[in-house]
Amino acid sequence: MFPALIKKELLSLSRDVHGMAALFLMPMVFIIVMSMALKDVYSPSTKVLAYAVANQDSGKLANVLIDRWAKDAGVAQSLPDNWRDELVAGRLQYVLTIDPDFSAQASDMNSKGEAKARLLAEPGMGQAMFEMQRMRLLSIVTQLRAEVLLAQLDLGINVAALAKQTPVAAERVSAGGARPTAVQQNVPAWLVFGMFFVVASIAGLFVEERACGALARLRSLGAQPWQLVVSKIVPYVMINGIQAALMLAVGVWLMPVIGGEGMLLVGMNWAALLVMLLAISLAAVSLALTVACLVSTHAQAATLGPILNVLMAALGGVMVPTFVMPPVMQKIAAFSPMNWGLEGLLDVLLRGGGVAAVLPEAGKLTGFALLMLMVGFALFRRRV
Amino acid sequence: MLSIRHLGHRYPAAEVPALDDVSFDAVRGEVLGLLGPNGAGKTTLIAHLAGLLPIQRGEIIIDAQSLAAARAQQPTRIAIAPQEYAFYPSLSVTENLTCFAGVGGLGGSEREARIAECLTFAQIERYATMRADRLSGGLKRRLNLAIAMLHHPELLLFDEPTVGVDPQSRAFILEAVRKLADAGCAVIYTSHYMEEVEAIANRVVFLDEGKVVKQGGLAELLAEAEAAGAQARPSHGNLEQLFMALTDHSLRG
Repeated sequence: MFPALIKKELLSLSRDVHGMAALFLMPMVFIIVMSMALKDVYSPSTKVLAYAVANQDSGKLANVLIDRWAKDAGVAQSLPDNWRDELVAGRLQYVLTIDPDFSAQASDMNSKGEAKARLLAEPGMGQAMFEMQRMRLLSIVTQLRAEVLLAQLDLGINVAALAKQTPVAAERVSAGGARPTAVQQNVPAWLVFGMFFVVASIAGLFVEERACGALARLRSLGAQPWQLVVSKIVPYVMINGIQAALMLAVGVWLMPVIGGEGMLLVGMNWAALLVMLLAISLAAVSLALTVACLVSTHAQAATLGPILNVLMAALGGVMVPTFVMPPVMQKIAAFSPMNWGLEGLLDVLLRGGGVAAVLPEAGKLTGFALLMLMVGFALFRRRV
Repeated sequence: MLSIRHLGHRYPAAEVPALDDVSFDAVRGEVLGLLGPNGAGKTTLIAHLAGLLPIQRGEIIIDAQSLAAARAQQPTRIAIAPQEYAFYPSLSVTENLTCFAGVGGLGGSEREARIAECLTFAQIERYATMRADRLSGGLKRRLNLAIAMLHHPELLLFDEPTVGVDPQSRAFILEAVRKLADAGCAVIYTSHYMEEVEAIANRVVFLDEGKVVKQGGLAELLAEAEAAGAQARPSHGNLEQLFMALTDHSLRG
């Protein structure tokens, strides 16, 4: 009986063009678009910002500052006469101005520093980017000044060599080899979203099956409710598995081809990944069965499923990372099954976590799946 | 073959029972016409026989076994051809037959032989690879019939099997139902078309508001109707007149 039921489910799904697009194409497109769009959030490049320099100082130090700035920021554009208008309009992202007498004052130990190097940014520059640029300017000017003043003291120190020694290092720590990139973040996020989209497919096909009397016919042939439920779980867990393989393939192989960063699976714990995928799949399919039993019409299934998905994704950190949410929203996010799935996958794909690390999230998802299965099964017996 | 005794059923929160003390028999080789207006309880009765509703009151006996025991032993002894197109629209004719054959426990060469047999019986071999949702109304009804026949059932339940089909398909379905009864099946046939029941039924049960209001052999009922002075119309008027008289001529939901 099971092979016939499972084959029927897979055939029905494979001929549901919209369902297939929602399950495979949509998360794939989201991964590509969002990874490319958010590329600079995780690996910001300052070289793409259009800037100009208004140097009103004729000293040597100002020129050194401009050279060092250009190493990271790229070549400056020529300064237009109406640069303030250009800045306000956003055609220039920032202008680096250097006050007259900057070099002289920076080289003078007794100077109060009235002559400044100034960063004037366009109004639309994000706070994070503005702060990053400000800190970079501060760092370069401070170092320049230290070099000049140390040289003046004539302590027999090789200032040039000292300047190259930067006693600062910063890196993100993970047990695996992956580092946070837009792809590394977006693949798990949209994979979870895509896996939960089985809600719409299962509910739609189930409503159709019930309305046309096929389900009643299966029952009359001796199929028990539990057999019908299991025969729906198995194929969709398989579908979720194919989704996962496809999305990971997009991250690893397709993204580098189209100009994004490739996803790294180096050092990843495959068993932990499998545990998480299975837990997410069970939660998604169980929720889908409950929704399928709750709705009465195809229109309800086509509306409720996606709404539920988008809400869970918005609350669960799929669309907006939880760390940028206010504390209240972060607390709410902790109740979203999509958040459990996402955090578990990030544990595996980003933090190098093993099976033990993902057990809390996998446990929550499995508990949710069992609860939904009980509710769904009770409803199923009443509706069929 | 089938004995229904004092069957009663009330849906939750319903004021009146859907079935109230219903009793009748269906025997092999005969077509039993089950007639009644909308809401008479026909669908509830068929749902019981198909094992979709638990028995609240009374009993259903299949060859000296309770319905539950008979279904537990071999659920495919009873087949249903519901009012709806009870198959998967995106699957082809053969895929649908394969699915329902597999669910009923058929496999291997036996399954293939049965599918071929049913395709031939319903005369839909030419459409074997066509998607079910692309079939005409008549062909869909014939596919419904083919699926019902897959497991060689002993009791066949037809719930308005000719709704929305052309006269040729209707004639074909009626002939097929008659053939199945002649081959030894017990057939329960519900319809709103009196001439269909007159054409194929051996016996008739009238159901109204959940109760059996009349039952008997077709000839006997027709004679009774004539004797009661019903205004006979050519060929099929008597049964309709009797039906209207028994169900009070009032409109139903």
